[in-house]
Amino acid sequence: MSEPKRTVIGFVCERSLPVERMLDAHKAMLDDPETKFVIVPCSGMVKPTLMEAALANGADATFVCGCAIGDCHYRTGNLMIRERLEGKRNPKLRKNTDRRKVGMFFVTMKDKEAFLEALAEFKAGLEPKPVPED
Amino acid sequence: MYRKFLRLTKSLTVSFEKLVNFLTTQEHNPLYFHGALPLYCFWLLIFSGILLWMYYIPTLDRAWSSVNYISALPTPGHPIDMAGGIPYGAVVRGIHRWGAAAMMIVTLLHMLRVYFTDRHRSWRWLPWITGVALLAFVLFVGLSGYLLVWDARAYFIVVASQHLLEALPGVGGFLSAFLVGGAGITDYSLTRFLFFHVGGATFIFFLVWMHFIRLKEPVVTPSRASNFLLMGFILLAAGTLPAINITHELLARYGTDPRIAAQAAYIASDAPAQIGHLVETIRYDAWYMFPYWLIQNLGVLWTWIILGGATVLLCVAPFYPKDRRANIAEVIEAKCTGCTFCSLDCPFEAITMVERAPGSKFKQIAVVQAARCSECGICVGACPFQAIELPELHSKTLEADLMALVKKGA
Repeated sequence: MSEPKRTVIGFVCERSLPVERMLDAHKAMLDDPETKFVIVPCSGMVKPTLMEAALANGADATFVCGCAIGDCHYRTGNLMIRERLEGKRNPKLRKNTDRRKVGMFFVTMKDKEAFLEALAEFKAGLEPKPVPED
Repeated sequence: MYRKFLRLTKSLTVSFEKLVNFLTTQEHNPLYFHGALPLYCFWLLIFSGILLWMYYIPTLDRAWSSVNYISALPTPGHPIDMAGGIPYGAVVRGIHRWGAAAMMIVTLLHMLRVYFTDRHRSWRWLPWITGVALLAFVLFVGLSGYLLVWDARAYFIVVASQHLLEALPGVGGFLSAFLVGGAGITDYSLTRFLFFHVGGATFIFFLVWMHFIRLKEPVVTPSRASNFLLMGFILLAAGTLPAINITHELLARYGTDPRIAAQAAYIASDAPAQIGHLVETIRYDAWYMFPYWLIQNLGVLWTWIILGGATVLLCVAPFYPKDRRANIAEVIEAKCTGCTFCSLDCPFEAITMVERAPGSKFKQIAVVQAARCSECGICVGACPFQAIELPELHSKTLEADLMALVKKGA
């Protein structure tokens, strides 16, 4: 029996990964249909509440993908979201959020392979999804 | 066409940096600290410069010998009575000399990195324009430093600069006299050159302030590895080829020594200047003396055209091509509590907090200065009250997108 499908929501900066070449018509990743992207102009635009909302509404995990640290097109966006998720900058991620389900990746537009590896590792760290009874 | 070019350069830059990441790791890649490197070099130059200043005497007959004295080659009759020169004086001079070369190299690297990644336009015009001024001042301060040694090359540069200035209609004669502080070169000229060098370097601090004024938390410290790497290069160069003055006698005696020959070819200063005795050509320092190469090879008019044209091109670069600018952040007045988070997090200082009218529910309100806004949405991420939004990407739209994706997966 195949494992039940997960839903992983990624908030992805349009300048980090080559997003337009990575998605199908339903915003699911071609390399990994379980993962879907919400595209933002900068990872700094993502609010922790948005990620909490994703988890509360049925996503099994969520992550932010921004430009490499030191190379944000808008200077500090990736640092901002990193500090918010680490609880160092307001507004912070709520303390009762399962940290294992919240990921961050910071990659350049030439690092698709590295991103896929990190994503696989992130998903491997998630608890196995319970198989439905019926 | 031009946009395509900028996209290509961005792509090439990222590829190149990926290669460097492979060598240095992402955390220590000096290219991610490109703006901090010139500042780091600048500090190195300030401190080595203060040490050199202690021994420098700005007069026609003593400038050269006081610099020569620093380089640890004893000069008879020097007024500062210390036998044997300054320990490691030539190395400190070397740090100042090689540090200046490093300064120009990392400044150009910074400029090209910013240009190639398309981070010089529109709302970033002020950092770019002050950057052009900084580049001009680095060049000016570097060149005035070459005058202080007061060797044959310095005299050549002064005469060539006077030719260049005199070519200007109307003000040329005045500027030429202003450069040397009178009708001819006197002791006062050296004092003036010292002021150009030290005063110009001080003015760089003011320009750096202007450079940073619209940047939140500018990166001013390179990673430790980049620090050590750059310092290591400069110290290695200064230790291998320290800066000394080379006279004809010295060259006749030690010219066969490969190290003296290398110093003579690359970094050493010449014999003392003799007013009225102009050398035919000089050794051009690649990073600072290209205007004099232009003067000698193309003439004064073409030098003005090339330098002026380059400056104009650099100054119009941030204003072309124009973007649409339809997504500038907007504050929703009823919701803004005046909490200051967006203003603290805006990377370009585009949001200021303004007092509300007396009797209002909240004390302050955030105000976006449209010309400074980069449309990045970091303020939207910072706002706990949904009180600031990008018109073309409302956070309600983002939420709806998210809900649609979550549902489809279920």
